[in-house]
Amino acid sequence: MEGTRLQGDPAFLDHGPPPRAVSEGEPSAPVARPYIALEQVSLRFQSEHRQVQALSDVDLGVDEGEFVALLGPTGCGKSSLLRLISDLIPPTSGVIKIRGEPPSAARQAVQFGFVFQEPALLPWRTAIENIQLPLEVVNYPIEQRQARCQALLDSVRLLKFKDAYPHELSGGMKQRVAIVRALAWNAPILLMDEPFSALDELTRGQLQDDLLQIWSRERKTALFVTHSISEAVYLADRVVVMSPHPGRIKTILSPGLPRPRSEDMRETPEFLRWTRMARETLRS
Amino acid sequence: MSAPIADKAPSRLRDDILPPFLILAVVLGFWELSVKAFDLPPWLLPAPSDVAARFIKTTTLWYHTGLTVIEALAGFLISAVSGVLLSAGIAHSRFLERGVFPYVIVSNAIPIIAIIPLLTIWFGFGIAPKIMICAIISFFPIVTNTTRGLKSADRRVIEFMHSINATRSEILVKVQLPSALPFIFASFKIAASLALVGAVVAEFYSSDNGLGYLIITSATQLRTDLLFVCIVVLAMLGVASFMLFGYLERKASRGEQIEETR
Repeated sequence: MEGTRLQGDPAFLDHGPPPRAVSEGEPSAPVARPYIALEQVSLRFQSEHRQVQALSDVDLGVDEGEFVALLGPTGCGKSSLLRLISDLIPPTSGVIKIRGEPPSAARQAVQFGFVFQEPALLPWRTAIENIQLPLEVVNYPIEQRQARCQALLDSVRLLKFKDAYPHELSGGMKQRVAIVRALAWNAPILLMDEPFSALDELTRGQLQDDLLQIWSRERKTALFVTHSISEAVYLADRVVVMSPHPGRIKTILSPGLPRPRSEDMRETPEFLRWTRMARETLRS
Repeated sequence: MSAPIADKAPSRLRDDILPPFLILAVVLGFWELSVKAFDLPPWLLPAPSDVAARFIKTTTLWYHTGLTVIEALAGFLISAVSGVLLSAGIAHSRFLERGVFPYVIVSNAIPIIAIIPLLTIWFGFGIAPKIMICAIISFFPIVTNTTRGLKSADRRVIEFMHSINATRSEILVKVQLPSALPFIFASFKIAASLALVGAVVAEFYSSDNGLGYLIITSATQLRTDLLFVCIVVLAMLGVASFMLFGYLERKASRGEQIEETR
């Protein structure tokens, strides 16, 4: 399963292997630079009466193909972190690098696939037309769009709903469309901002498994914001535990439970041990 | 969401069309009988049958009506195009919003009647000043509603578009304008009837044709039956434009409304 590409995927926007850190004039072994690197990143908002320190001195490195969860309570700046990485907002101070380049370059190269808490689909477009939206923007070859979108819908078992409008789909279906919309043009980095938090428990579990399957097949680098401890441990290689006021990283846990993961794993002592550890870290 | 299915098949004719016509028939019948019973003079209140007869006999009616419609339509179209364009500018530029919006409000605050003499001095007694009046009077609702509609676009979708490096015009065309369509058609509904009012009022002041002129002359000559004919024609024009844009508005917002009621 791993590595097989979706049908109708013309390797468009394939960015190739990331440039390894080549530090000139430094003869020693090349330092493995992380795929996404944040150094001393801070973010302050100026609201009407006071300054809000949304993030304070965040250091984080994410490797290529890694699945990292950002876990924390409301107001810890985890959503802001995604927006900083994807160049939607600039940091107040600090440096962010994507493959050694600033986020603006990565955004211009359309390397980010964004999924929000709400599906944020266009109500006047059908499911397949919603997935086509980014393909129109990135000038994906017209003759391949249809096949690409159908393959994506098929991968989340929604092919027979391709001509349905968002209001005709359930919450879980809409979110599945939103996820494959973010994958449509083969962006190497998938950014998800609490994508499942509005869904019921059962749908949520299903979509987590869907997501893991897509992720392992398409080999994305994934950043996943959540406030659910078990969701973070279930999905991620590493869990970045954050705390609020000001938002900062408390600890980074590396559960790295064996993959592929399944429902049964949720009852294993290993899984419970990590969720307990994450909970204690959040509380402390 | 919908009413339970009754045994009898729903009938549009019976449920939607028949009731207002029944009421109309009752009112007209009562009117006709009252005029006949109290022997009211036709200059005071003509019977509906007299009005209908006048409607058929007045051969110049369609000429006057056509002229008024052309004025209102031309003014409305000018406002629709320039208003939507200006709104697109306002939605994209803080400077434009702050600089222009006060004057949009001023354009609404000045009573339109006060401008008619001025425009007549400048542009004469022809069709041009009437078109301008129609354009000015319908401008405000179009700009305010379209601007609101453009801003109503889903913030997340716009953020998504930014994250894939979409240009401003792509965001405008693919996200903001479609989101604004229900608002735009709603404003057209208001603007079209205002344009009609503008045309008639402008014709009151300076004209020798058009429905406004016909109203003024029939009033001064106490031809009350013709006055009623003009009013009925204007009412029908207003209802027609209201129904057209109301239909487009519903069509454009169908998906969203259903989503909201879920």
